[in-house]
Amino acid sequence: MPARGSAARLLEGLLLIAVALLVPLCLYVVFAIVPTEEKMGIVQRIFYFHVPSAFAAFLGVGLCALFSTLYLWRRERRYDRMAHASAELGVLFCTIVLITGPIWARPVWGVWWTGEVRLTSTLILWLIYVGYLLLRENALNRDQAARWAAVVGIIGAMDMPIIYKSVEWWRGLHPKVLRISGGGGLEPTMEKGLMLCTATFLLLFAYLLIQRSRLGRLQDEIEALTHAARSVAAPGAAPAPNGARP
Amino acid sequence: MTSRTLASILPALVTLLQEIPSTAAAATADPASQAAIVERKLHFLAWAYTVVWVILALYLVSLSVRLRRLSGALRRLRERLGL
Repeated sequence: MPARGSAARLLEGLLLIAVALLVPLCLYVVFAIVPTEEKMGIVQRIFYFHVPSAFAAFLGVGLCALFSTLYLWRRERRYDRMAHASAELGVLFCTIVLITGPIWARPVWGVWWTGEVRLTSTLILWLIYVGYLLLRENALNRDQAARWAAVVGIIGAMDMPIIYKSVEWWRGLHPKVLRISGGGGLEPTMEKGLMLCTATFLLLFAYLLIQRSRLGRLQDEIEALTHAARSVAAPGAAPAPNGARP
Repeated sequence: MTSRTLASILPALVTLLQEIPSTAAAATADPASQAAIVERKLHFLAWAYTVVWVILALYLVSLSVRLRRLSGALRRLRERLGL
């Protein structure tokens, strides 16, 4: 167990160092190397943090659904902890997407928000997972919170394919691909910049996930010790193995 | 950041960004209005990047506060139970 703990610490340290080195590099690449997009101008540089945030949000939601499924199948507390941590990070990165998107849209489209499907479905995804977090806070006991949240986590993830495919299924203002100088897709330097920023955001996501899951572990440990202390103080008291809230 | 500092940084940033090669064809509009458009878009860009870092910093602080509080509570609980 201590070896596992030290390995986790090492991984965490390496992730932190990688993120600390990559973030300034990303900023340098975004502001000094990648060319300015022809139609939108410099404001298009929001793209390099907006899109990676969306990838990180998708990863959070996807992991939440995966761990929720594992929890419902195996009923192991660690899966529930990971699902909770992933959902929180999904909400965090989805919030960034929903704020940077309108800031990008205003100078390019002339409006902060439109009712098109990609934007609306992303907002719905955010609302579902905010609801997921609120549900966990307000459930009567830990088991109930875990079960209900797992169901919401799985159902909520069904919004992801809709978001992803929305620009193909419905026509709207949201770009599918950026077209540079009549060509298709991203210009190679832009693509490299996007890949670098995406890698940085995913490493940041991994670092935050480790930290957030540690928080869940500490909460569980405190609950277990509190229960043990109550059992010692009042033998024969309610067993509360399901972690009923005090 | 004061508006005076921002006012002194913005023209320098505008110049820097104008020097970066653009994929656009040669500009046809007059340079003054072009600079005004670039500066306006730069404000949006600055806001977006500020928001990203502020949100991430706030989350990191909140996570660190929660972790410290729970570690303290766990330590106190263990001491009380004699573990």
